[in-house]
Amino acid sequence: MQKLLNQDLLTVLKIWNEQYEVFAPKKIDGDVVLSVLDEENFTMDYINVTLPVKQYVFEQKENFFKWNRSEKEITIKTPDPNKLSSRVLFGVRPCDAYGVAYTDKFYFQEFEDTNYTDRRKRTAIVAVNCLQPGKNCFCTSTKTGPFAEQGYDVLLTPVEDYYLVEYASLFGETLLKVISSYLSPVDSQQGVKDKEILKKLTESKFEINIDLSLIKGILKKTYDSKLWNALAHECISCTGCTNVCPTCTCFNVVEENIDDNSGRRVRYWDSCQSDSFTRNAGGHNTRDSVSRVRFRILDKLTLIEERFGMKGCVGCGRCISVCPTYINIVKIARELTAEYYANGGSDQELEQISQSVPYVIEQRPQMDNLYKPEIAIITRIDEETPDIKRFFFKYKDPSLHDRYIFKGQFFMITVFGQGEIAISIPFGPSQRDEFDFCVKKAGRDTDALHKMQVGDEVGLRGPFGAGFPYESIKGRDILIVGSGVGLAPVRTMIVQILDNRQEFGKVAIMASATKYEGVVYKDDLKEWTNIPGVQVFYPLAKPTNEVDAHVGYINDLLPGLGFDWANTTAVICASPRRIKAVAKDLLALGMQPTDILTSLETHMRCGTGKCGHCKVGSHYMCVDGPVFNYQEMLELPPEY
Amino acid sequence: MTNSISGIADSDVIFIIGSNTTEQHPLVATRIYEALEINNAKLIVADPRKIPIAYKADYYLPLAPGTNLALINAMLHVIIAEDLVDANFIAERTEGFELLKASVADFTPEKAALITGLDAELIRAAARLYGKAKQASILYAMGITQHVTGTKNCAALCNLAVITGNIGRPATGVNPLRGQNNVQGACDVGCLPEILPGYAAAGSQLAMDRFSPVWGDFANKPGRKLGEMLDDAASGKIKALYIIGENPVISDPNQAHVRHALENTELLIVQDIFLSDTAELADIVLPGASFIEKNGTFTNTERRVQRIREAIPPLEDCKPDWLILTELTKAMGYSADYQHPEDIFNEMRLVMPSYAGMTYDRLAENQGLCWPCPNEDHPGTPYLHKDKFIRGKALLTINDYENPAAQASEEFPLILTTGRVMHHYHTRTMTGRVWSLNREYPHSFIEMHPEDALAIGVKDGWLVSISSALGSIKAHVVITTNIKQGVVFMPFHFSESPVNKLISDKNLDPITNIPEFKVCAVRVEEA
Repeated sequence: MQKLLNQDLLTVLKIWNEQYEVFAPKKIDGDVVLSVLDEENFTMDYINVTLPVKQYVFEQKENFFKWNRSEKEITIKTPDPNKLSSRVLFGVRPCDAYGVAYTDKFYFQEFEDTNYTDRRKRTAIVAVNCLQPGKNCFCTSTKTGPFAEQGYDVLLTPVEDYYLVEYASLFGETLLKVISSYLSPVDSQQGVKDKEILKKLTESKFEINIDLSLIKGILKKTYDSKLWNALAHECISCTGCTNVCPTCTCFNVVEENIDDNSGRRVRYWDSCQSDSFTRNAGGHNTRDSVSRVRFRILDKLTLIEERFGMKGCVGCGRCISVCPTYINIVKIARELTAEYYANGGSDQELEQISQSVPYVIEQRPQMDNLYKPEIAIITRIDEETPDIKRFFFKYKDPSLHDRYIFKGQFFMITVFGQGEIAISIPFGPSQRDEFDFCVKKAGRDTDALHKMQVGDEVGLRGPFGAGFPYESIKGRDILIVGSGVGLAPVRTMIVQILDNRQEFGKVAIMASATKYEGVVYKDDLKEWTNIPGVQVFYPLAKPTNEVDAHVGYINDLLPGLGFDWANTTAVICASPRRIKAVAKDLLALGMQPTDILTSLETHMRCGTGKCGHCKVGSHYMCVDGPVFNYQEMLELPPEY
Repeated sequence: MTNSISGIADSDVIFIIGSNTTEQHPLVATRIYEALEINNAKLIVADPRKIPIAYKADYYLPLAPGTNLALINAMLHVIIAEDLVDANFIAERTEGFELLKASVADFTPEKAALITGLDAELIRAAARLYGKAKQASILYAMGITQHVTGTKNCAALCNLAVITGNIGRPATGVNPLRGQNNVQGACDVGCLPEILPGYAAAGSQLAMDRFSPVWGDFANKPGRKLGEMLDDAASGKIKALYIIGENPVISDPNQAHVRHALENTELLIVQDIFLSDTAELADIVLPGASFIEKNGTFTNTERRVQRIREAIPPLEDCKPDWLILTELTKAMGYSADYQHPEDIFNEMRLVMPSYAGMTYDRLAENQGLCWPCPNEDHPGTPYLHKDKFIRGKALLTINDYENPAAQASEEFPLILTTGRVMHHYHTRTMTGRVWSLNREYPHSFIEMHPEDALAIGVKDGWLVSISSALGSIKAHVVITTNIKQGVVFMPFHFSESPVNKLISDKNLDPITNIPEFKVCAVRVEEA
């Protein structure tokens, strides 16, 4: 521990500014913002800066890549990380430093997002501990302040006319070396003591104190509280709360076209408080105004912590200060706590619910850029139904096919200049040198894909997601149900099972649709009928002369299958309502809920658990799913 | 606004009528929330739709579209009958009270109940709450003005404030919420047919005295109103139109008539920052600069004149409006020797006494100043009419109730009322280009009560056609109990579902000629 005199602070910043780009608190009108070092308006007199430091490591708008098309050929260029400057962010408050510690965990782990990590590795955080809370500060309640414990490279603690100085990283050590002539040694033991006294004193100044230790259980038990309905009428979706939040990481992927043959794919901060955040191409929205408002509070107070083991709320109070309708996360937590106990709740019950097993998060192999698609060429297009086409693609670089590993559940397909869509994998591991996907016309992106021709170039990213289990269901009877284009995601199982037919028991395939014209893979289905022990059914709403169809429900056919139900696995892709209807009968026949597998396709945008659009409860459906068993499905909040 | 935005927070009673404040003026709504949440104020909301702020109301009055005046007159009746008036204020600062009293003597809540569809006791309760308030604010917007009785509605609200003494003090007043950042400023500088800058009536001696020393000889006579100009263009009387920053193809009533009028001109010039539906019809389009590309001032709803500063230079080929106008003036052979908007502002100060004390430096130092600000030592005026009204005493007016011009019929059984959504601005020329805003509402919709939907056999999300005597448009149904049975609502933003195709250009307020955008008889059927 060392010390730095207050009077030398500005000099130190100027020294750093010679080698790095220094951002420091600056007075502008009534606000203090973190901005390029401005000696004249530099100030240390602030509770906190207006916006969290997040914006310097996860910018409001970032370029993923620029694409160009000449003739039909498409080339992609990603930004050069070596052009990024090295920065020092000075004056960061402990709550915001904690926020960066969380966004680090979020963006470095699982799929490393180099758009973030390239910038972050060149950024040093110099935090300054707080001696005075603001009127909406509650970091003592979230245990993320008022003194920083993580998220900084250098930490300053103000003591009378000097700062105690510590470092926590190599970058921090380097920064201190540069200014060593302005540092003098202090007795570390005394320094620790001084810090502890100042911390206690600061903690005693907080006006907001709330016990959040059992909040997870309280939120679970008050999930249907009328308070959420009242809040839904108050929130106007201005998205101010998420824009100022140090731990909000969601973004939207947007196409910015320069002309018909070039453009950029960029990301912008997005907000779960927009009504349209979870709305899919067909207009279906998995969250209504009530679940939308509830989601943010749950995410901050429990969902983030459930998944990442870190606090989702750092207690900075910015969302409270900024809300035009006075929605207040602390007030909500207090009211729900009171409501829980008023309804006879007990600490004992809460302690049980609030225990949680942390997620085990798998670190994926690093990619040079998560969001950069590989170019693929359309080699064939089949018209499956009036609004469903089957597209065949080959990577332009054939070595990608050689290196390709079969896993996952979906690919992201890019129509350059239009957008990117998640499409399920319908093929098995034996299909290596060509991929095919069934795409239903459902919105602008799929409309654009439908207009494309053989020879046109698209982008492919993937495979992503958790696919259906295969090894673990060997030896069992297998029921496969696909409704309309929903036969595509389950086809991957059909082809794998039929390739190894002898390893499974009875197999029944049900291709349901309103009418026969709406059934995909008609030729495949006819072929599969001829395989011994495989039954193919067509549950349709309207009769047809083309095949021997069953006019009626899927459920009608189940009792007649003669399956060993206790030893059966069902794979179902249909609307959540239809899944529930079929599952109900399957359970009655003797199946276990864990043996019913479903694919819950939500609004996926990035495919890697980053953009947040497909988050249901604490799950990113694109990473943890979209395949879930029926029991897991019922445990999810009904927002898929 | 007679009063300031921040003052609303200190009101003990707030009466919102014809304003979807949370969605359309969210920062004004913040002051309402502050009053409610922190200062325990009471709230009255009158609107045919249960708009978000209505959920916070102590009294929510879901009145039938076009019946505001019946409600206000009944409130006046109750306040006078129950002696909730401010007798001293009436005696000292008003005239015409006895005539007003007589005019509402028989306008009982029971009578208003028959017209508005409201419970008489609810009207009575709201009137008492307002009448007993220490400092009550009235907030209104287009829900009051876009009626054939628009002028009367405003005058009746003034009566309400004046007889209870809720004017000329902080946290009171009659507060129309302006729909644009600078519509107040546009009015202040005379973008009105009969008014010259600083509210001098065209043709008046006052105008002559004020302007001739600066301008010399000038055409001191009233112009034509917007609707009249379009009528004259349609008939061929007007040969050329120069439209700046307006999109009448979407925003003016009877779209077919508007299109015909614009197409019938020999020369149509449109100056805008984007190629709007109107600009597409133009012979000449002059590309303007947006707010981030120019310098000048905006005057907001509380009369606060604020500086705007160029953040980026105008895009290629675009120029700020003032520069286009001065260059055009010069090209037409008249001198217009301005180097900067500040030169124009300083000229405004010469002829507009209410701006006389404002300088660019003072505006910057004070984060804007509220007019009137008559001299450079004056701090600006947060609220008007403090000791004296401009004419001396406030003249109370008689505003007899009239039915809306549009009435439901067998052929057109539903009443359409129009408005806006939170995430779009006017005709969507700007907000339609922003992904995050347009994503919220990419398409139009029609709100309908479940009973009305059942009657015509449509379900949520279905595409329906909406027809009036003038035309027909399509939109998707949103079924909601937040709207009265018999009433449907559509936003006017969308050029694909232009509600102005349905709205009559003949049903006008006789004084201002504002069209009856809030009441239109329609038929809805499955498309």
